[in-house]
Amino acid sequence: MSAEGDPRDLVKLTHDKLSVDTVSDSVTCPSCGAISIFIGTTRDSFEGMKVMQLEYEAYIPMAESELRKIYTDIRARWPTVRHICVHHRLGVVPVTEASVIIGISSPHRGDSLEAVQYCIDTLKATVPIWKKEVYEADESCWKENKECQWTCQS
Amino acid sequence: MTIEVSVFYFAKSAELTGLKSETIRVASELTTVELWQGLVSRHPRLSAVRDSVVLAVRQEYLALGDVRVSLRDGDEVAVIPPLSGG
Repeated sequence: MSAEGDPRDLVKLTHDKLSVDTVSDSVTCPSCGAISIFIGTTRDSFEGMKVMQLEYEAYIPMAESELRKIYTDIRARWPTVRHICVHHRLGVVPVTEASVIIGISSPHRGDSLEAVQYCIDTLKATVPIWKKEVYEADESCWKENKECQWTCQS
Repeated sequence: MTIEVSVFYFAKSAELTGLKSETIRVASELTTVELWQGLVSRHPRLSAVRDSVVLAVRQEYLALGDVRVSLRDGDEVAVIPPLSGG
């Protein structure tokens, strides 16, 4: 639990396993009745192929600045939002573990719920992070979010 | 006038060039498509992703086209394949 203070904008890109408790604790505040959390996890199959491993890489300084732009948008659209925290994992992520955790607090639940949805949708469209799925027989594929404007629509 | 910029390659573009980054000399005033063509002339295999990448110049996204950029010594350029974070 944290004491009341200035609104926090927290970003962490890490190779370590992510923790929901850490994210939740970082956005907790006495004036907030709601903490909304989104966890993005890694699936074990794609179009019938078994995913052995996922690997993430990022353009780290630009990922941080794009996330902070999203935070600015969130605060403009949902002014009651108190604290915002995004943790994204990099490197190898075992299947079923979390690749991203978003936590947002607000006095009442409407704003944090909507802000979390906006945050993950916009992250997928604008934050320079890439995921590679590695399948059996050493095949791999760089994924492309449909939210990204320069993904080829085929 | 030519200046030196750092170029960062990510995801598929890093696999095609075999590089994560390099330093190159380019004209200080050019379009994004001219900048791209300069990269392809150094790494012809990059042409495979021409239709699916954008560039980032000083950490702002720019499409490949007639977009004019003014580059300064030490600026960062990055090749940005389709994003897959989250």
